[in-house]
Amino acid sequence: MKMTKIYEGSHQWIMFGRDEGKPANIIDTNQYVVRTPNRCLLLDPGGAELFAPMMAAVLHHAPVDQITDLFASHQDPDVISSLGLWDQALTNAKLHAPAIWEGFLRHYSCESIEYVPISDNGGTIKLESVELQIIPAHYLHSPGNFHVYDPQAKILMTGDVGAAFEAPDAPVFVDNFAAHVEKMRHWHQRMMPSNQAKRVWIERVRNLDIDILAPQHGRMFKGDDVKRFLDWFDALQVGIAV
Amino acid sequence: MTNQTKSQFIAVASITSELSAVMVVAKEISLAAANAKAIAFRAGDKAKGFQPITDFINELAKETIELVTNINIYALVLYRLTVDEFQKTTAYNKFELAAKMAEGAAYAKSMQEPVDHARLSMQDCQRQFKRDVSQLLGQLEAVMHHARAARVIAANSRIEASQAGEYLQSLQAVAESVDKAAHTIHDNVQRCRIALSIYRNS
Repeated sequence: MKMTKIYEGSHQWIMFGRDEGKPANIIDTNQYVVRTPNRCLLLDPGGAELFAPMMAAVLHHAPVDQITDLFASHQDPDVISSLGLWDQALTNAKLHAPAIWEGFLRHYSCESIEYVPISDNGGTIKLESVELQIIPAHYLHSPGNFHVYDPQAKILMTGDVGAAFEAPDAPVFVDNFAAHVEKMRHWHQRMMPSNQAKRVWIERVRNLDIDILAPQHGRMFKGDDVKRFLDWFDALQVGIAV
Repeated sequence: MTNQTKSQFIAVASITSELSAVMVVAKEISLAAANAKAIAFRAGDKAKGFQPITDFINELAKETIELVTNINIYALVLYRLTVDEFQKTTAYNKFELAAKMAEGAAYAKSMQEPVDHARLSMQDCQRQFKRDVSQLLGQLEAVMHHARAARVIAANSRIEASQAGEYLQSLQAVAESVDKAAHTIHDNVQRCRIALSIYRNS
């Protein structure tokens, strides 16, 4: 599992992905960790298949008892089907996840972890002195969907928005936006169902000061590529399968 | 999922299936008893010896239904335990793998506690499963006992039926149906016992 520190300040952001040991027939995912002095938040911790390499990778940054928070942007298995395993490994943790998916996500088993439901209008996650904003991103692509914004690190974790599928050895940041577009086009047209939801989300995130846009699949966007992505997405017609 | 886990799931699921067939047959015995009672009543003195047997058949059917109902509840508990054991075994294996993969990591040692805890939980589940299987086998033995008793009653019924004059055929049919039902219950329960017995001492 490749680990890349993408922010270092009063706290850290670490991106995990490009797992070489993962079975070839499952989708590659990026996991993000926000590390404060005594706590650790896993954003979209991944599928059950990924649990062992992900846990092993996190242990380079935090002990098990400091993994106190999990966040699931939505209910998909590549996002959170590892929940039942985290549930048995962690003794004092919370799962921040969309309220509408609570009954569904509990199918993965969530007995010792406390489910903290996120209402439709979002909220915050407080991690010691760090306050992360939970940004609504409904219908992008899931009907109950959230992104996480860190105003201090200026990172927006965007789940499936900005996703692309890459070779295992691909760089973690977009280095040629024009070339990258074709890796994203069909995914966004097919997986994102609503042009209206997309416009509302773009208006919302254009107001945020973003250095890094961090999707759950493929490369991250930084600097000017963040605006390029938003402009490109704004112009894209989505929901093409109907 | 290992082959042993798959077999365990199948064994537990097959109990419910076999027992639902037993339940149907036990209800048939109960009906046969009611039918026999009506015939014996019409036959009067000619079937005097048959009358107490019908009550006995009915009682036996009721007890079998009650036993099977309880066993079905128990089988559901056993199924949940099988799911639990599967989850705990999966967790233990994944935790061990994570610990191995984390060798050299700054906080690798912190994984030891979850590994130990998962191992103990898994072992607890396995012990509980064996205990529950032993109890279930005991309950199944009780149903087998009822089935054997029903066959004895069926044999007695045949003797009594032979003295019932023009009611001989009807009462013999009742005896045959009790005997057949007892046979079916015996076979089905025996299959349950065979499916489960390998887990008692595994």
